[in-house]
Amino acid sequence: MKLEEIAKVVRSKNAGPLHLTFDLMFADEVDYNRVLQSPALTPARIAKAYGVPADTVEIIPYAPALAIKIAMERKVIAGDPGDRDVYGAQQHGPLLELDL
Amino acid sequence: MSAFFRLRDSFAKRQRPLKVLGASGQLGYGLPAKAFAAGVARQPDCLGCDMGSIDIGPHFLGSGEVATADVMMRSDLRQVLKAARSLDVPLLIGTAGSAGASSHLDATAQALREIAREEGLKFRLALIRADMPPEVVKSAARDGRVTPIGAIGNLTDDEIDAAGNIVGQMGTEAFARALEAGADVVLAGRACDTAIFAAVPTMLGFPHGPTLHMSKIIECSSLCCLPGGRDAILATLEGGSFVLESMNPDRRATPMSVAAHSLYEQSDPNELIEPDGIMRVDRATYEAVDERRCRIAGATWHPASQLTVKIEGARSVGERAVLLCGSADPRFISRAEELVEEVREVVRGLVCGDAEADYQLIFRLYGLNGVYDWREVPKVMPREIFIMAECIAATADRATTVVKTCKQFLLHHGYEGRLSTGGNIAFPFSPPEVVAGPAYRFNIYHIMAVDALAPLFPVELEDI
Repeated sequence: MKLEEIAKVVRSKNAGPLHLTFDLMFADEVDYNRVLQSPALTPARIAKAYGVPADTVEIIPYAPALAIKIAMERKVIAGDPGDRDVYGAQQHGPLLELDL
Repeated sequence: MSAFFRLRDSFAKRQRPLKVLGASGQLGYGLPAKAFAAGVARQPDCLGCDMGSIDIGPHFLGSGEVATADVMMRSDLRQVLKAARSLDVPLLIGTAGSAGASSHLDATAQALREIAREEGLKFRLALIRADMPPEVVKSAARDGRVTPIGAIGNLTDDEIDAAGNIVGQMGTEAFARALEAGADVVLAGRACDTAIFAAVPTMLGFPHGPTLHMSKIIECSSLCCLPGGRDAILATLEGGSFVLESMNPDRRATPMSVAAHSLYEQSDPNELIEPDGIMRVDRATYEAVDERRCRIAGATWHPASQLTVKIEGARSVGERAVLLCGSADPRFISRAEELVEEVREVVRGLVCGDAEADYQLIFRLYGLNGVYDWREVPKVMPREIFIMAECIAATADRATTVVKTCKQFLLHHGYEGRLSTGGNIAFPFSPPEVVAGPAYRFNIYHIMAVDALAPLFPVELEDI
């Protein structure tokens, strides 16, 4: 199953100009736990999908919101020459396809 | 007596719930009037608005320009100023004029003065500057008291000198100082979003944890609701908890929607770092009051042993010009990535001769990799692509020269198998080249350890 088939929200946004964050939200605890326990949800796998070093990727569950936060360093600082997405709001594409 | 002193007197006589109106999280982009009026009708004890962010990119901090349209900024300021003065309650505005440097603060203050004159309003205005003197930052960097927040490198004297503006994010302390000085309206330069809303409650004795948590949520107005939006939101603080209610009846603050907001634009949903401490929400509870209101409690506050200020700076990197065009030719599209590289080399030869390029030329191929840096070609090629060629050079003339040359040689670039010999690209208008002005990049995004906050954020008072 792909992440986009189970998540209610898959979004990306800057957390400051140096970091990208991704929020995954779910309809219920079953879906939340299923994704949280998936072998696909590791810093190594996410890092590979984004072409960044695994030690720059963090995965932080936030149970009160049935949500999972992923944070990583931006490859290009927001707004630097060559940046494609100043707000970082359209960087979630590879996550939609993440095979759980 | 100032609006805040009256509020403090009334609390000294009798403790009661405190109503804080989050009027806008983006003042200057248009204030939804109906929800704002509904919020004012609830007679809040103070009004707060956030006016800026670092999201908008380096241009506004570097250049000192305001990001919003002047007429919209004035319209929003007029609404919140009139409301605060008619209720005679404190009005607090943070990160004035989009990026919160002195030029942004001064432009916003001037608009406030003119509106006050037109409306016949009288009040004491406090301006809080957030510009970090370069010498202070240099000295701190030399002493090893400046740390990068991510992959931006250590701060050098050269980078500090190159920054168009350097600002620091002030905390609750600065707003509190302005209120203690008798301000009715506080207009702050670069500020923590939370500080705007946290000063009044903490000065009245409400606990820091829940107050900061409330502030973090309402600085985005009704974004924490279902469906999220930009309407005003009312927070009612009562002891150690607070209740949220959107002033648009169609927006519901539910336990889940509010909890989810803790994630927004944060790299760690559990904690929020402020100049003088850390607010943690890992033990926060979210409970429905009814369908539209949510009660939140349990956030904790951990004072810092070392005071810190987040500092931000942006420097010029040259002048920008762009070429806008597109293609609907399948042969061109399937080879577009290599063809633009060939054109890059042709352009360099024409404008530089044998020399290296003295500019940056960046191609974004929308439909292929314009938005996200996909590292493989799509399974199915798009029917059309949009091409943006961006040049950053030392002067606008140089950048324009490069994109004009690029335009002509991209149009007529020959390649194996080409059928569309009339031209490879379509231009949406004439001329297709746009001079985009100075280009900036963030060169400072660091944490600076400091001994005291107050000297960095001076308060200026003005009776209007």
